[in-house]
Amino acid sequence: MPNVPPTARRVTTYKIIQGIIGVVFSAYLIWRLLVITILNPTYGPDTWARFAIAGLVLGSVYALIAVGYTLVYGILRMINFAHGDIMMIGAFGGYFVFEALKNVPAPTPADPNLTFLNAHPTLSVIAAFLVGMFVAALGGYFLEKIAYRPLRGAPRLVPLISAIGASIFLENAGQLMFGTQRRDYFNPAVLTRGEGWGIPIGESTVILTYTGVLTVIVSTVIMILLYALVMRTRLGRAMRAVSENKQVATLMGINVDGVISNTFIIGGALAGAAGVMWGIHLGLVYYFVGFIPGIKAFTAAVLGGIGNIPGAMLGGMFLGIVESVGPAMLGINFQLKDVIAFGILVLVLIFRPTGIMGEVLTEEKV
Amino acid sequence: MKNQIQRALKAGLVFGIVTIFLFLIGFPSTAADLLASLFRNKTAGPVFGLPPLMFNLLVFLGLIGLWAGANGSHADKEQADDPWVPALIGGLIAGLVHGLLVGGLALLIGTLDADGVKISAYLSALLPAAIKLFLLETPPMQAAVIYFILMTLAGLLGGLLSRGIPRGAWQTHGKAAWSGLQEKISRQPLVKQARGHRYTRYIVYGILILLVFLLPLKAGQYWNYTIGTVGIYVLLGLGLNIVVGLAGLLDLGYVAFFAIGAYTVALLTAPQPHHLMWSFWIALPIGIVLAAITGLLLGAPVLRMRGDYLAIVTLGFGEIIRILSKSDVLTSFTGGPKGVNTIGTPILFGKPFNASAFVYLIFLAVLLVIFVTNRLQNSRVGRAWEAMREDETVARAMGINLLTQKLLAFAIGAAFAGLGGVIFASRNLFTGPEDHNLMVSINVVAVVIVGGMGSIPGVIAGALVLKGLPEVLRQLEDYRVLVFGALLVVMMLWKPAGLIPSARRKLDISESGVTDTPQEGREA
Repeated sequence: MPNVPPTARRVTTYKIIQGIIGVVFSAYLIWRLLVITILNPTYGPDTWARFAIAGLVLGSVYALIAVGYTLVYGILRMINFAHGDIMMIGAFGGYFVFEALKNVPAPTPADPNLTFLNAHPTLSVIAAFLVGMFVAALGGYFLEKIAYRPLRGAPRLVPLISAIGASIFLENAGQLMFGTQRRDYFNPAVLTRGEGWGIPIGESTVILTYTGVLTVIVSTVIMILLYALVMRTRLGRAMRAVSENKQVATLMGINVDGVISNTFIIGGALAGAAGVMWGIHLGLVYYFVGFIPGIKAFTAAVLGGIGNIPGAMLGGMFLGIVESVGPAMLGINFQLKDVIAFGILVLVLIFRPTGIMGEVLTEEKV
Repeated sequence: MKNQIQRALKAGLVFGIVTIFLFLIGFPSTAADLLASLFRNKTAGPVFGLPPLMFNLLVFLGLIGLWAGANGSHADKEQADDPWVPALIGGLIAGLVHGLLVGGLALLIGTLDADGVKISAYLSALLPAAIKLFLLETPPMQAAVIYFILMTLAGLLGGLLSRGIPRGAWQTHGKAAWSGLQEKISRQPLVKQARGHRYTRYIVYGILILLVFLLPLKAGQYWNYTIGTVGIYVLLGLGLNIVVGLAGLLDLGYVAFFAIGAYTVALLTAPQPHHLMWSFWIALPIGIVLAAITGLLLGAPVLRMRGDYLAIVTLGFGEIIRILSKSDVLTSFTGGPKGVNTIGTPILFGKPFNASAFVYLIFLAVLLVIFVTNRLQNSRVGRAWEAMREDETVARAMGINLLTQKLLAFAIGAAFAGLGGVIFASRNLFTGPEDHNLMVSINVVAVVIVGGMGSIPGVIAGALVLKGLPEVLRQLEDYRVLVFGALLVVMMLWKPAGLIPSARRKLDISESGVTDTPQEGREA
């Protein structure tokens, strides 16, 4: 669609509004920075470090989900509204692995009550990740096959509504199957939540939790692998070609439907890994667990420039940190941390709709 | 032949998975209950030597099995001359696979249960009673064999019954019968005369309105409440119809305006937290105006966005308003998570409104909104909106001021939502943050989409189907939202233009559905 320049007057009005909002916002930010560092420092550096660590861990989970949004948007130009629920499926997959392994006895002479979960924690965690990723990938595959594929080529609202319907369906299926209660993720003993390495900062120590470190490491490894997949393999090249132009990709002998299926499988697997991480680190799974992270991850994807894979990763990290540091820094109530995420989304879309890293698809305007 | 077997295998697999899913969400027990009220055998003695509920469960499963068999036995085109072979083979294979899966589930659950695993701690639908019913009060192996035999026989029978009728034959048949009936009716001289007459339309409308106005007198408290809820959703749907259906701006945060209306009337008329105690009739216009202003304020920054970006941003706005109304920051102003109680009801001629009076108020509001929408739709503004929906660039080239038109659409849509919110809060005497969650927005979007975008009768039909029907089927209450989600997907696959599409929209969708790529990247 050609980008017709609007009339000059309208541009000025819009720019002026933008400018005013920008100036007010930056002024407030600078004022708050002054307040928290010099004028009235409520928190010491240790607290800020705690916020930053928590944000980084959360951000690495968001990043994985955001990549799923970006992959799908890059190829189909649609928001996969049910992506957060795919994460929920993955979280439950990991949950059931831990619950099953918890009941498998693996007695040793030293400890006759030892379970498989505690005897082989590494294996258990790997199994949880694999199962979580597998069921979520399966979910993504069938989601695309049932709810999106028949709608190829329909006007844009149609698949979005279908996605919303799929999301409601998955959430309620989860609720009916697993009930409404929030379940504790039963981690192996070595990964007990809240335990970790202490790092002395100032007068107190900041705990670098094992679960948090695991989350960040797994997330980073998965993202590097994904980047390699997209940039170096045949499938990755096909994916990029399809996102560039479906018709030409077909002419080049690419099976477009197959590539789209694979994209949903990959995105689902990433969301599943994110779900397992969410469970291991934060500990609670229930049928609605994917909704808010899903929306926030979408924010992250937009923040990094939707369709742009490194952008989604950075966007996720950035959003996690801002969300965790933001309330204290802006001096607002901690209950309002979700407002910050949505506020950022709105601000980004107003000021820089192509995101921080720039949208990969240039021919399409926001 | 090979295709035949593949198709039967697939049918068996799909039906097996669906049946397992139904068991996991606990649907078969509900279905057995439903059948009990149909057969009136709940308290009766054993049927064919089985307890009634168990018998009903087997009937339900048998019906699914029949369907699976019928589905698996669609004939190949080249075999159509001998329909019995595919019917036998297809039905048998589908039944076998179906039976294997269901029997396997019975065996698995039965064994786990016998081992003393508390299944309901993990799968909350499989309570001990439900498991007992599912296992037919026999050992797991026996139950599995029974299910296997039942499903196989049902599949075979289904295959034989459908006799390899090609896929879609029933639909074609039904359609032919329906159009034949239509033709028959329209050939009657009386109908012919009435259809040609120009006052017929008004008479039909008049009868409808009369019926609708007599209804609340006959209906009890509960039904009046339900009718009122449907009416409020019609209001909201008509408002959103302007934003989504006419102007083509998908707003997922529509509940924000609803909340503004509700909170306005709440704060102005309730004794807590401000003790203003104004009259409802003063709060009503204030609520509408405030909602419209909020519409302008929220609309202004997002004007340049289109399509799904707009959807997500408005969703964000809706959530922001809900989180704000829930948080401690505004507790002293909005009553926080507890909400606002004892909201004032409208008083007319010295009498406060009761449930049926509210229904009349809602009817009046709906009529007003329908009138306004209708006039707008056929005016310059409405045409501008439709042009904008089809193609913004071309609309701009035609001299339409996109800025004003979009803001107008947002403001008018918001005003209708505000009206709905005011009435809703006043009728319930209460409003709180959870009245204004995302589901309301999604419900309203669904009303518009399911009914048919841009069509007023469509919105009414959508509200009746989505908000009225679930009230009728109260026994299925647990599965309402699930079905709602599935319905959205199915509607998009089956009738993307909605139940009663507007004429233009119907044309549009059927055109773009045919070809794939040329429409690529265009906005709906």
